[in-house]
Amino acid sequence: MNNIVIGQYIPRDSWLHRLDPRYKIMGLLFLLVTLFVIPIRTEWPYLATLGFLTVLIFLLIITSKVPIMKVIRGFKPVMFLLTFTFIIQIFYYNVDPTKANLLTTIPFYFTWASLGAIILILLIYLFTKKFIKLGFLYFLIVVFGIFAVQHFMPSTWGFIVEYKADLYDVALIRSGFLILRILNVIMLTSLLTLTTMTTDLNHGIESLLRPFKIIKFPVDTLAMMLSLTLRYIPTLLEETNKIMKAQASRGVDFKEGKLKDKIGQMISLLVPIFIISFKRAEDLSNAMESRGYVIGAKRTKIDTFKTTFSDVFSLVVAILIFGLVLASRFVIPIWL
Amino acid sequence: MEIRFEKVNFNYKGLSETTHALKEVSLTINATNEFIAVVGQTGSGKSTLVQLMNGLLIPNSGTVDVFGFMLPPKRRQKINQLRQEVGLVFQFPEYQLFEETVLKDIMFGPKNFKKTAKDAEKRALEAAKMVGLSDEILQSSPFKISGGQMRRAAIAGILAMDPKVLVLDEPTRGLDPQGRNDMMELFKEIHETTNKTIILITHDMDLVSEYAKRVIVLKDGKVAFDGKKEDLFEDPNFDEYHLSLPTSLKILKELEKEAGIKYVPQYTYHDLVNYLKGVKK
Repeated sequence: MNNIVIGQYIPRDSWLHRLDPRYKIMGLLFLLVTLFVIPIRTEWPYLATLGFLTVLIFLLIITSKVPIMKVIRGFKPVMFLLTFTFIIQIFYYNVDPTKANLLTTIPFYFTWASLGAIILILLIYLFTKKFIKLGFLYFLIVVFGIFAVQHFMPSTWGFIVEYKADLYDVALIRSGFLILRILNVIMLTSLLTLTTMTTDLNHGIESLLRPFKIIKFPVDTLAMMLSLTLRYIPTLLEETNKIMKAQASRGVDFKEGKLKDKIGQMISLLVPIFIISFKRAEDLSNAMESRGYVIGAKRTKIDTFKTTFSDVFSLVVAILIFGLVLASRFVIPIWL
Repeated sequence: MEIRFEKVNFNYKGLSETTHALKEVSLTINATNEFIAVVGQTGSGKSTLVQLMNGLLIPNSGTVDVFGFMLPPKRRQKINQLRQEVGLVFQFPEYQLFEETVLKDIMFGPKNFKKTAKDAEKRALEAAKMVGLSDEILQSSPFKISGGQMRRAAIAGILAMDPKVLVLDEPTRGLDPQGRNDMMELFKEIHETTNKTIILITHDMDLVSEYAKRVIVLKDGKVAFDGKKEDLFEDPNFDEYHLSLPTSLKILKELEKEAGIKYVPQYTYHDLVNYLKGVKK
């Protein structure tokens, strides 16, 4: 329950922590857009731009004094998807053979023998995965093993079909580009949540959305909803934990069990959580009302933001980077 | 057949700091004929102690032996079975109700332990009878009955698993005085009819003096006192446990000071009344 990175503020004393959240969010948005402005091309200036941005993001992480492992832990949930994307991108990207170098061609033989070996590997995997701690790494090794078996086993043992995988340098670079970009996006966004308190983040968003009030967009309500949601995540997690323990005492095994049992177990968890949430929401709304909360009423803030030179400076730098990369998009093709 | 703690340590790991909830706890609890009260200040490790008894928490060091079942468990040993042996009723257990009818909810526990529907229903009906739930309530939704009845239903859900030991974490919290007394009489009756050990976490010293036979006092994660309740209240170190005396003893002490009535400890309300009547004559 403790490995949720989003919303885990790490208190440190750094310039990134002190930055006004409004400017921080805007600067981050500019950098995010910049990452997507670079075209996915394999010519070196584009790669250099992405490399430059990656270095910049690493510099941000280092100067923010947040442990780098904390940021990298944010990759965990997307790791599976990224590996999958990477492999697919390498082999299925349509390369123009005249412009790319064929690095190597890997032949695979799908034979009765390798089929047996694959089934054996999968069976071993199914029975041993409970005992391996680094589950994802183990999974990767198994996937690799399945292809290795098809590559290395002799083609004569009950031959069925042969297929080849062409590895082009262009495809490799392109896939790497894509993955690096996604990793950068994750690093940037988790950097924001790691260096900004959720309350500050909320104030920042509210303040940035203020202009939309003109078109009758309920900014205050949205901000209140957001802050309440964030506030209740840990509370609900705690309640969930309690209910899980209570149901575990009644013999529910949340770790194991068949799918059919799992559904019943989920219900035994969800129903109480829903009831608790409704009860809490009702209590909270009563408490707010008894203290005079009226939706849409004008109210003042306990914290007000004060723009400093460093706030403006960081935003200007972010916009400059964005502008330069945008300009390079048009300049580089002429120059090449 | 006993629950044995041997030099058990348990820590809660936070983001930056670790809380030592239990330190070097060693104690033995018999499966029958004990009525134990676990007392101590908030944060002294009471809830941690009882959660270790049915494997919801695993000790960081030391071992817990629950009827021959060792914690931390050996490989391949399933903890789940242990939960049937030690029935744990949490604080505010009414929140764990979820089924359509009260009866179905009480049947949930036995069913999880691979009892057939028929057998589960039989046990559920027995448990419901024990806690005093009428047939009408058994067929209604657990969200439409009163708070006290919800708590009874939740306790019946644990009783239906037929545990060897019943562990209750502040079962009287949030109940009105009548509900509190009824609840405690219920546990006393279960204890007397089945002879099962009952372990009760509480802050209410009146309950301790009235019902418990043995008291375990926890202080900062350590067992500060473990023995008969009669010894606890006369313990010279009693003040250090940050507990208050039960009302009956307070009255008796006051009476000795003010009215010169001899201080003879009386632990239940009835004993106190009878003793005072005897003095009057």
